[in-house]
Amino acid sequence: VPISGGGSGVVGILVRCQLYSPQRALQASAVLRRVSDEQKKEPLASSSQQQFDSHPADHQPEQEPQGPRPSYTGQGGQESEDYESEEQLQHRILTAALEFVPEHGWTAEAIAEGAKTLGLSVAAAGMFHSDGSELILHFVSQCNTKLSDLLEQEQKLVQLGKAEKKSTDQFLRDAVEARLRMLIPYIEKWPQALSILLLPHNIPSSLNLLTSMIDDIWQYAGDQSTDFNWYTRRAVLTGIYNTTELVMMQDSSPDFEDTWRFLENRVADAMNMGDTANQVQSTGEAVVQGLMGAAVTVSNAETNRRSE
Amino acid sequence: MAAAGLCPCRALLTGRGGALRALCGSVRGLAAGPETHFGFQTVTEAERREKIYQVFESVAKKYDVMNDSMTLGIHRVWKDILMHKMNPSPGTLLLDVAGGTGDIAFRFINYVRSARERQLQRKLKNHQNLSWQEISESYQEDKFKLLGDSQVVVCDINKEMLKVGKQKAQHLGYSEGLSWVLGNAEELPFDDDKFDVYTIAFGIRNVTRIDLALEEAYRVLKPGGRFLCLEFSHVSNPLLSRLYDLYSFQVIPVLGEVIAGDWKSYQYLVESIRRFPPQEELKAMIEDAGFLKVDYQNLNSGIVAIHSGFKL
Repeated sequence: VPISGGGSGVVGILVRCQLYSPQRALQASAVLRRVSDEQKKEPLASSSQQQFDSHPADHQPEQEPQGPRPSYTGQGGQESEDYESEEQLQHRILTAALEFVPEHGWTAEAIAEGAKTLGLSVAAAGMFHSDGSELILHFVSQCNTKLSDLLEQEQKLVQLGKAEKKSTDQFLRDAVEARLRMLIPYIEKWPQALSILLLPHNIPSSLNLLTSMIDDIWQYAGDQSTDFNWYTRRAVLTGIYNTTELVMMQDSSPDFEDTWRFLENRVADAMNMGDTANQVQSTGEAVVQGLMGAAVTVSNAETNRRSE
Repeated sequence: MAAAGLCPCRALLTGRGGALRALCGSVRGLAAGPETHFGFQTVTEAERREKIYQVFESVAKKYDVMNDSMTLGIHRVWKDILMHKMNPSPGTLLLDVAGGTGDIAFRFINYVRSARERQLQRKLKNHQNLSWQEISESYQEDKFKLLGDSQVVVCDINKEMLKVGKQKAQHLGYSEGLSWVLGNAEELPFDDDKFDVYTIAFGIRNVTRIDLALEEAYRVLKPGGRFLCLEFSHVSNPLLSRLYDLYSFQVIPVLGEVIAGDWKSYQYLVESIRRFPPQEELKAMIEDAGFLKVDYQNLNSGIVAIHSGFKL
């Protein structure tokens, strides 16, 4: 059945093509010759059908719209070669959008404007969440990268002996200040960004970025840090960073002087706290040991009383 | 028929699908009765085009009333969700294919207008020390071009549907930024790289060569442009699916007969929904046309789905 079906299909095409143009008829007759050469094998019948899909012949049954699909995938492949990966393009759009944040806020409109500068349609903004969270997270991670580059350079200078090694409190203060200064161009819109970052579905990624930034700072602070344990160090610096950020948003002093003074005091507090924490720890240990001793004595006494 | 009517209760009670499946079979059997055939029937492409043209020609006048009664008004919510997903920025150029009666176009205009108004208010809030005169001037000036340079082009293959849409636009007072074009989705009468967004709401199902329509959508969109398709799809929940089938095959044609006086057309509508490729398959077809970042969102557990893709 398929053999005769395929054959008659080709003949049908031949007849129709002769009506259209002599060139096509030539192609069709060539196919027909091939078909007869191959004793009308089934696969050939289907390949000839594909060749003639370019002009919609109405003999084709409508359940088979997937005929010319292979050519489309080829086209799609070309398209992705022209561009960098989807993700890189998205990053480019977001970077371009930052320029428009002071005017439009962390919104789809800013992203649309950014897409426009890249010669893309404003509709490309639809690739991102409409709450603007991706734009903010992109900005935050960009700032974090900038900060760690900065700290790395500083470290290199110190290693080469071109700069003096900073004390831990000085280092932390400078690192946090450098990071917060990156917010200055967007300070008007930053409260909006913070509120969006605190939405439940954004918390995992924003927290992740925050902790990685704090880790970076501690990493470059390196062996200078002494007796805090790892978790407290992170928690303390996170606290300093976040509170200073809040102060900064309320700050109207020239060049955020008040903010940097606040930062200095908090870092100093934390340094003092390190000593205090040590003292508390040793006192605490002594107290616990004492209590344990008392408990053991009491329980011993109890056992003795029972066995009597 | 009475026995068939009892079947669903028993099946629901025992929780076994067999009886229901049998019922569905019988429903399908009824649907493919002697005089209503071409939804499930194989016809040639030319015949199909002609028949679909006739369907929409005959339902055009009652199209909106029927939509409301068939979906209990939910189609409005679906279209609003589509618009929300599109979230058009000022200056968006929209092509709404198969949008004859203007449902999407009017929504687009409303959406852009209100977005502009919000923007305006925000602008005024930022300049708080303006004089009253300045404020009223800025309002007047912006009210003029409240639509910005956004525009929507409605393209439909069916003259009757376009006629209804134009009348509706006149009646509702939409004129600015709106144009009506008679054209086939399989060969759009527009230049390449022209539109920001392409929408096709409850239309792609009736296009004979979906692949050609997708290819054309890709062609007319600007780089970065977005393809959005709202269409009936396949329900995954088995219980809901049965109820849905029952409703579609038993109630909708009756509604069609009662309200629009046209059983056949609505029979076709229902059958064509069953024949339309499911979500994943359509997604693959959109990807094959060259679109990137293709995804879909099911609404009402898949009764309809919104597919979205980008030309990058």
